[in-house]
Amino acid sequence: MIVGLPKGLYYYKYHKFIEKFLDNLHISYLTSPNTNKNILNEGIRTCVDEACLPIKIFHGHVSYLRDKCDLILTPRIMKASDGEYICPKFCGLPEMIINSIPELTTITSSPLYLNDKKKIYKWCEKVGKLAGKTPSLIKESFEDALKYHANEKQGLDDEKGFSLKIALLGHLYTVYDNHLNMDVINKLHALDAGVITEECVKMIHIKSAIENLVKKPFWSNMIGTLGSGVHLAQNNLVDGIVFLSSFQCGIDSVSIDIMKDMIEDFPMLVLKLDEHSGQAGMDTRLEAFIDMLKRRKLIDLDISTHG
Amino acid sequence: MYYLGVDVGSVSTDFVLLNKNYHVIEHLYLKTNGKPIDAIKNGLSILGQTYNDKQILSVGITGSGRSVGGYILGADLVKNEITAHAVAALNIDKNVKTIIEIGGQDSKIIVLNNGIVVDFAMNTVCAAGTGSFLDRQAERMQIPIQEFGDYALKATLPLRIAGRCSVFAESDMIHKQAMGYNTPDIVAGLCDALVRNYLTNVAKGKDIQESIFFQGGVAANIGIKASFERSLGKKLYVPAHYGVMGAIGAAILSAETKKTNTSFRGFNTCLSSFNSTSLECQDCPNCCEVVTIMQDNNTLVGRFGDKCGKWSENNISASGDK
Repeated sequence: MIVGLPKGLYYYKYHKFIEKFLDNLHISYLTSPNTNKNILNEGIRTCVDEACLPIKIFHGHVSYLRDKCDLILTPRIMKASDGEYICPKFCGLPEMIINSIPELTTITSSPLYLNDKKKIYKWCEKVGKLAGKTPSLIKESFEDALKYHANEKQGLDDEKGFSLKIALLGHLYTVYDNHLNMDVINKLHALDAGVITEECVKMIHIKSAIENLVKKPFWSNMIGTLGSGVHLAQNNLVDGIVFLSSFQCGIDSVSIDIMKDMIEDFPMLVLKLDEHSGQAGMDTRLEAFIDMLKRRKLIDLDISTHG
Repeated sequence: MYYLGVDVGSVSTDFVLLNKNYHVIEHLYLKTNGKPIDAIKNGLSILGQTYNDKQILSVGITGSGRSVGGYILGADLVKNEITAHAVAALNIDKNVKTIIEIGGQDSKIIVLNNGIVVDFAMNTVCAAGTGSFLDRQAERMQIPIQEFGDYALKATLPLRIAGRCSVFAESDMIHKQAMGYNTPDIVAGLCDALVRNYLTNVAKGKDIQESIFFQGGVAANIGIKASFERSLGKKLYVPAHYGVMGAIGAAILSAETKKTNTSFRGFNTCLSSFNSTSLECQDCPNCCEVVTIMQDNNTLVGRFGDKCGKWSENNISASGDK
């Protein structure tokens, strides 16, 4: 039996865990390639029109794997943390896929609660059982993969060597999919700007940055992005923020405005991503933003030498 | 001796020649018509009738077509539009605080403090509040775009037109026309809609302080200017060369590079033919659309559009800090 791993959405966060788990169980797996033009086209062709680009791209990855494996992992993520919610598209992902992609092999459709270890185990157990593995081996493989995952360093934090540091924020599947975001990380590097992502900000800092809000945000995606951005900005740990946001994202529409409100005049560039492949618009915005930050730095230097 | 500045935009391709004091000696505003290379050649051929290569000290280029255009011209500087527009406005007024720039496909706000860009925003995904949209509506109503602003000023009651999406605006307008409202009122409503869209989208949360410059092709439209002034309760200043400010900025920036020898390829470049061929690179699943531009079918100008750099790395470098 071959298990298919679509390289989209939370793949970027959990692939090491699931790969380790499958390895431990001696189940072979096939990962779809990095997002490319064909996957994007296929995703847009199959998925409902109103969905956001990351969801469409996920459809493209599933479609790629459709006839190449026996089971495709399409997790129905219901919750990421206690007391928080996740974008509802995740809760309905298997239905969207089943009804959009024809001639599909078996996909997983049981709910996955990431806030509860027992429930994660239940989900994994189902996958193991589908492959005919024994409960004891599944249990052992699961515990080992979990430990392995906990020790994995996540996120990006460029060490010195760049003249500017940028907080690159957004849902992690927009941050790490180089096709979707038009290779923004390399573009920033080429403009002499290093990058830090939200995983490199400690949870305690994220929480404290947003504790004074009138109401605790309840979207998991929003807490990490907003909290890390506000923390990095208010403590001047970065020179500016680049916020990647998929067109039509409801959560971002709230996050971006609260962020603007909290960081006041701290520089932030919002890049809306959709199926564009012409790079001129992106390049102009990034180049102008970095130009601005470099020149602001010059004034700051002047002021400090006089004061 | 002159500095040449070029702005290759979606709707127009602009050329300016500045003298050593950065005064505009010559300016051209040519329609791009979707063919930026032809527009560049056209501009060179017009300027080449009066000027010669030796009079050009430096060349700067900006606009969405700047990277390809930079290779064709042999530009000394390739710069984004935000910086170019800011530099051009600062050259007129050191105290400019806000620049409202509305072009063919972009609209921008640039906020300055002490002569430095401290904040900017551009339209995110939609061209609803830009020149192309006005162009299209003017064409549909059979009003020459030059007279669009005058129509707006004749209005007795600007009608409310949905402004957040150009498709919505168009259907709203059609419905108002169908009800028999007169054209000036509809045109004025459209100007208000564009301004409303600009202020709530592009300029959202920005502090619009005087002095305010209004530039870009749409600044020609007195209806839009009036609508801005009504909404903001502040005066807008439209510089004399509002339509070519990007090109002026590019020329100034190229002068500031202080290169002793320009890499300008000369006015005769307009005699060359440029052909572009596109291919889909099959070497990896990215399937990049690579465009190859050849001069006179025998000299490679450059290749663009690849993600990995395999095709573009052999381009002779066009200057600028890109």
